[in-house]
Amino acid sequence: MAGQKSDDFADEEAEDVFSTVVARVRHAAWVLRYGRGGARADLLGKIGLFIPALASVLIIVLILTFLWYESMPILTSDVGGPAIFLEPEWDPNRDLYGIGVFIAGSLACTGIAIGVGVPLGIGAAIFLSEFCPEKLRAPLRMIVEMMAAVPSIVYGLWAYVVMVPWIRNVFAPSVQSNPLTAWIPLFQGQTNGLSLLAGGTILAIMLLPTVISVSDDALRSVPRTLREAALALGASESETARKVVLSAALPGVGAATVLSLGRAVGETMAVLMVTGNSLQIPYSLFDPCYVMTSIITNQLGYAYIFPLWRSALFAVALVLMLMSISFTAMAKIIMRWGSKTRGIV
Amino acid sequence: MSRYGLDRLRSLNEMVNGAPQATRSFIDRVRHATRRDVTDWMFKGFVAVMLAIAVAPFFMLVAEVASIGLEDLLGSGPGQGIQLLTTYPGVGLQGGILNAIIGTSVLVPVAAMVGIPLSVLGAVYINEYSPPGRVRQIVEFAADVLAGIPSIVFGAFGFTFIVFYLNMGMGVIAGGLTLGFMMIPTVLRTTQEALKQVPMSLREASLALGATKWTTTWKVTIRAAFPGIITGILLAVGRIMGETAPLIFTAGNNLGAPTSLFGPGSWVASMPFTIWAYISDPRPYLQVRAHSTALVLLLMVLAVDVAANYASRKITRRLV
Repeated sequence: MAGQKSDDFADEEAEDVFSTVVARVRHAAWVLRYGRGGARADLLGKIGLFIPALASVLIIVLILTFLWYESMPILTSDVGGPAIFLEPEWDPNRDLYGIGVFIAGSLACTGIAIGVGVPLGIGAAIFLSEFCPEKLRAPLRMIVEMMAAVPSIVYGLWAYVVMVPWIRNVFAPSVQSNPLTAWIPLFQGQTNGLSLLAGGTILAIMLLPTVISVSDDALRSVPRTLREAALALGASESETARKVVLSAALPGVGAATVLSLGRAVGETMAVLMVTGNSLQIPYSLFDPCYVMTSIITNQLGYAYIFPLWRSALFAVALVLMLMSISFTAMAKIIMRWGSKTRGIV
Repeated sequence: MSRYGLDRLRSLNEMVNGAPQATRSFIDRVRHATRRDVTDWMFKGFVAVMLAIAVAPFFMLVAEVASIGLEDLLGSGPGQGIQLLTTYPGVGLQGGILNAIIGTSVLVPVAAMVGIPLSVLGAVYINEYSPPGRVRQIVEFAADVLAGIPSIVFGAFGFTFIVFYLNMGMGVIAGGLTLGFMMIPTVLRTTQEALKQVPMSLREASLALGATKWTTTWKVTIRAAFPGIITGILLAVGRIMGETAPLIFTAGNNLGAPTSLFGPGSWVASMPFTIWAYISDPRPYLQVRAHSTALVLLLMVLAVDVAANYASRKITRRLV
């Protein structure tokens, strides 16, 4: 309770914080003792509501504590150590716990997803907020929201049943037999469809709704006066959208990108089903890969009775957790930069 | 002033004054198109195509899942038609998916009982009781971080903390608690948005009539924000209904209905887990069953999403 009271005055930077806190606590005690029913209920309500407010903080602290505690054995043991984050060999039977291969797989998948999804999403958001007829806007927005609501396992199912055979039977043969594209290193190698390309594409599709709705909100919050000023100066509508509106909404769009990056790294089921889960660093789009979320899902159940193996999996989870925290913090920083430089986000 | 701006201003003028103006015909515009005009049209067409590409997968997905899933929903074999929704899998998993439907409809209320009070009360505290400052910033940041945590990390956390450390074992409670934690950020942020939109004058009027802060909050502010809060809850429910990864290590699986709250009898199936288990199975009828389960899940999730939209159109999904 004392902490809560002192926070009330945190911004004032009072020199005698201590005496203020004492005064507040005294006042609270007075209210509890002599106050009427209403005043007492108010105070108790304030204290009672403070606990649920802390729940989300508490959960994050708990998650971090447990992941840290569980991943300590591997990080301090002889066979592991902090070097596991860079080592590419994963074979628990031979005490090799290099999780670098999963980090590489995740980065490759996420890179493709961001490369495809973000430009597409921003373009779609520009159409939605700048050029879309009013009658079409609501239904399109609704479809985008529905895309966000589709469970990841359903995306995975679709990718597994439709996209993977398509890559195997149509995309790979056509690209590899075409002399224009056959020489490109990214298109080398045999594939059964379960590949980096399938994982990256389904990730791109899954993060599109995030990118579109956040970017659309950002573009819509650009004041109308900016657009009118640009048009009055003789800019065409597309010039206004590209050079004025988009640059004014840049922080929001940047935050959308960073957020979708976090979503892409953390996506589990869909990627698990289509990347092929093979322990190798992918060098071509048709190589299978193994991402961080997949290894936890696949092996945590078996690994639970082997302390080091389990611990290595929790180290992967710790990496994921730290990544997602830093992405959220980065998005916040971008938004703050936006409200500082532009006054809007 | 070039004519690009003039056109736009003219149409604005029309909007404001309603004065009909002679505009150039389409043919004229094409005939006198300059390079900038063409760039303008190309850019518009380009972003329109981008939007079309972006939403196309949704329709392809729904069409694919529906075309295979309906085979099961409209068929008349074992576990097809109405039996899909009313029978347990049984021998060889040939029956319906009643276990999954029961599982999801047990897990969601358990999650809601944990998640909704924590998040709604927390949002009321940070919006109504705490002054803008450190506490509010910390809670908001924590909720945003919580929204971004990968679902498998929640699963691993539930596995080690709830299942082993708290020694609850896998089952309804562990799975529900894990899902409840995942509900918090969505409900908290939407509730906060909804509370922010309640006009200050309502609170002032209530306080001026002599109501205490407590009464004002519960009888006036919360009621005004109620549609928004319901929207947040429905959005969160829609999200957790489709989560697989947190449940793999916390809820187990079950071919029947759970019989107890703790112990092995409390293991419970869920729709997403069933889809995953069936699609990983080589038997062809289970592949079809996976599609029909996905179709049922999709319909449920989309219905919840539409209901959320219906409850309040003003609240949008805030992500930061």
